[in-house]
Amino acid sequence: MGPSTGGRTRLSGMQKQVLSLYRGFLRATRSKSPEDRREIESFVSAEFRRNSKQVDRKNFIYIEYLLRRGKKQLEQLNSPDTVGLSSMNVTFSETENPKN
Amino acid sequence: MAARGGALLKYLRVNVEALPPTRNPNNNGLFGLSFNAICRRFSEEVRGTFLDKSEVSDRVVNVVKNFQKVDPSKVTPNAHFQNDLGLDSLDTVEIVMALEEEFQFEIPDNEADKINTISLAIDFIASHPQAK
Repeated sequence: MGPSTGGRTRLSGMQKQVLSLYRGFLRATRSKSPEDRREIESFVSAEFRRNSKQVDRKNFIYIEYLLRRGKKQLEQLNSPDTVGLSSMNVTFSETENPKN
Repeated sequence: MAARGGALLKYLRVNVEALPPTRNPNNNGLFGLSFNAICRRFSEEVRGTFLDKSEVSDRVVNVVKNFQKVDPSKVTPNAHFQNDLGLDSLDTVEIVMALEEEFQFEIPDNEADKINTISLAIDFIASHPQAK
């Protein structure tokens, strides 16, 4: 990850992808009921924060894996039938022991 | 030269004066009013309008002050999210998302990445015709 185009922000390309995914999740929760939204938001926010602290920022392969998995989860969340966290509970236990 | 300018001015003035009476007939009652309202709303949706900058500034400052991790006393129009308010990049995303909801329009990723101060947020929103 070389330095990005410059300007005011100095985010790497990978950081931009992570932030973009986070935006996608936060936008997706807007279409859910208020309590689903609160629950999903606190879960998603906790996941991103936990990974931002635990994952080595140079571990690109693992971050790319998390990005890919996150995009799939976002697709699921964006389907109107998804209201809850059943798929997320699975991923939660999965990420308890990150295989990196 | 002066005569031509005068003629032009007269023409313009007549035009401006002629519009309001025909547009807003008082005897038309309720129907006339709602018809005008519909016309106005329709044209606003098509073209979009720019919000007043001081209004944008107040609303942006309010959104940031209401963000739970922010000390409201530190929020000034020039505050930098990370340097002055102690927020990280994930918090900044949350604030920009809250601004999207406040102003009811979507901020594209490449613009959102650049918004890291309150004044940049105000400038972007005030220059965006879709912001409501």
